[in-house]
Amino acid sequence: MVIHPVLLIAIPLLFAFLMPLLKRAKAVTIIILLFNTLLAILMFHNVYNNGPLYEIIAFSPPIGIYLYVDNIAALLAVMINLLAFINFLSVEKVEIKFAMLYLLAVASSTGIVITGDIFNMFVFFEIAAVSSYALVAWKRDKEALEGAIKYMVLGSIASVLMLVGIAFLYSEFRSLNIYDIMNRMDEGSVLILLSFAFLLTGIGVEAEIFPLNGWVPDAYQGAAGSIASLLSFGPSKAGIYAIARLLMIFSWQQSYDLALYVGIITLLIGELAAFRQENVKRMLAYSSIGQMGLILISLSMLDSTDYAIIAFFFLLVSHAASKGALFLLSERKGFGSNASKYAGIVSVMSLIGMPPMAGFWGKWYIIMGAMQMEAWWIIAAIVFSSVVEAAYFARYLSTTMQEEEHASIIAAYPPAIMATLTLLLGILPFIYKIATIGGVING
Amino acid sequence: MIWAIYFAIASLLAIGIYGVITKKNLMKIFISISIMETGVNLMLIAIGYIPGGTAPIENGDFTTYVDPLPQALVLTAIVIGVSVLALALVMVINYYEKNKTLEYRRLMKW
Repeated sequence: MVIHPVLLIAIPLLFAFLMPLLKRAKAVTIIILLFNTLLAILMFHNVYNNGPLYEIIAFSPPIGIYLYVDNIAALLAVMINLLAFINFLSVEKVEIKFAMLYLLAVASSTGIVITGDIFNMFVFFEIAAVSSYALVAWKRDKEALEGAIKYMVLGSIASVLMLVGIAFLYSEFRSLNIYDIMNRMDEGSVLILLSFAFLLTGIGVEAEIFPLNGWVPDAYQGAAGSIASLLSFGPSKAGIYAIARLLMIFSWQQSYDLALYVGIITLLIGELAAFRQENVKRMLAYSSIGQMGLILISLSMLDSTDYAIIAFFFLLVSHAASKGALFLLSERKGFGSNASKYAGIVSVMSLIGMPPMAGFWGKWYIIMGAMQMEAWWIIAAIVFSSVVEAAYFARYLSTTMQEEEHASIIAAYPPAIMATLTLLLGILPFIYKIATIGGVING
Repeated sequence: MIWAIYFAIASLLAIGIYGVITKKNLMKIFISISIMETGVNLMLIAIGYIPGGTAPIENGDFTTYVDPLPQALVLTAIVIGVSVLALALVMVINYYEKNKTLEYRRLMKW
């Protein structure tokens, strides 16, 4: 059976714009997201068995645009679509515009992950950004608008910088194809270094890495729970994957070092800032920043150790699922029902890195990698941040557990399903096997 | 001749960055970003320029024509820029209605 990865992007885009005609926004969106999830799973199955998948649009590469799906990209596509589907179930009242924006954000995040063309990636980044600006501002109160405008100012500057980076890259290589550029990359002239700097800064805004993440707490605080959850597993995860591709293009030792330092600073600052927060969503947002730093550290080890790719995968999926669940729970003061308590405890355990959860394997492998590199200070930073994490999450659990605020069934179960995903991922050993073949990301 | 173009690009980018950094009025910030975008678009066009090249339409008479790809990119970038600017201005209007001011308080609260 031939799988067309382009359908993952094309179908949600098409239906997003057909939505005003179709009226039944909720049903249509659920069907499309379900279809997308199944397609992504099929695609992963196909890629896992038959190797990377190409989809050529119009001309053959390096001239034409093309999509390139390897194991990790396929897994991320599955993750984004599956979580988007579960997350969408928790939205009780769906307006047509909301469904449109939601589908656009999901389609473009998937697009960032599976595209093989750097300008195409820029376009998807813009679609993801524009739909997330609108979604963050959805509630239209003061907080939401402030968050959205802050995000928008930074996001627009980031898009300009990304475009400058792409222009430099194009002027050097006369090509926009990521794999073509990667093969022809050499020591690097000033222009190439500049383009790396511009691209990293541009993508870094979306990926929430340290000096560029001023928008994160405000945007997450202003957004509704389901939207904050979407942001944390959609565009931001696609952004960090784009950084992985960037490191793949500019694979010099110095760029890995840069990623390592930025990652450590992001981790420490994010966790320490989260410790100080009073507002739940702000705390979760800073914790997201910290986790992004951790993911970036795992990316920076890609060149030196084989554990990095496994750690990257586990950290990414565990953070996406558990932070999604926590953001959904943050809509209410307390957990209330047992399902919510279960979701909250499992997600928190996964984020801290307790043994049976997916997050544990992430931290385990990243520390194994650091031990192999004999970089003890990385381990020290990770352990220290885990302690800080445990401290503020314990406080979070102790306050939320006591509140008895029962939510409707629709709102209570999606977080529980997400938490179950992290639990299953931590337990099922065959997933490890899938992750170990992920060496593809190195090329 | 080409240096004039690069000078124009550099000044557009510099004006945009200056505006974003110094202005506190939201409208001015977004207009500055728009100016930066124009600079980048001009840069893309300049990169695709080949001296003596014509418009990239093949009709047999001309053999040298400018690189068509950056022009396609610029078209896309212009459309993106317009839509982002439109959304931004809508949000600025909403912000004004809520706060009765266009001043953007630079809250860097941690």
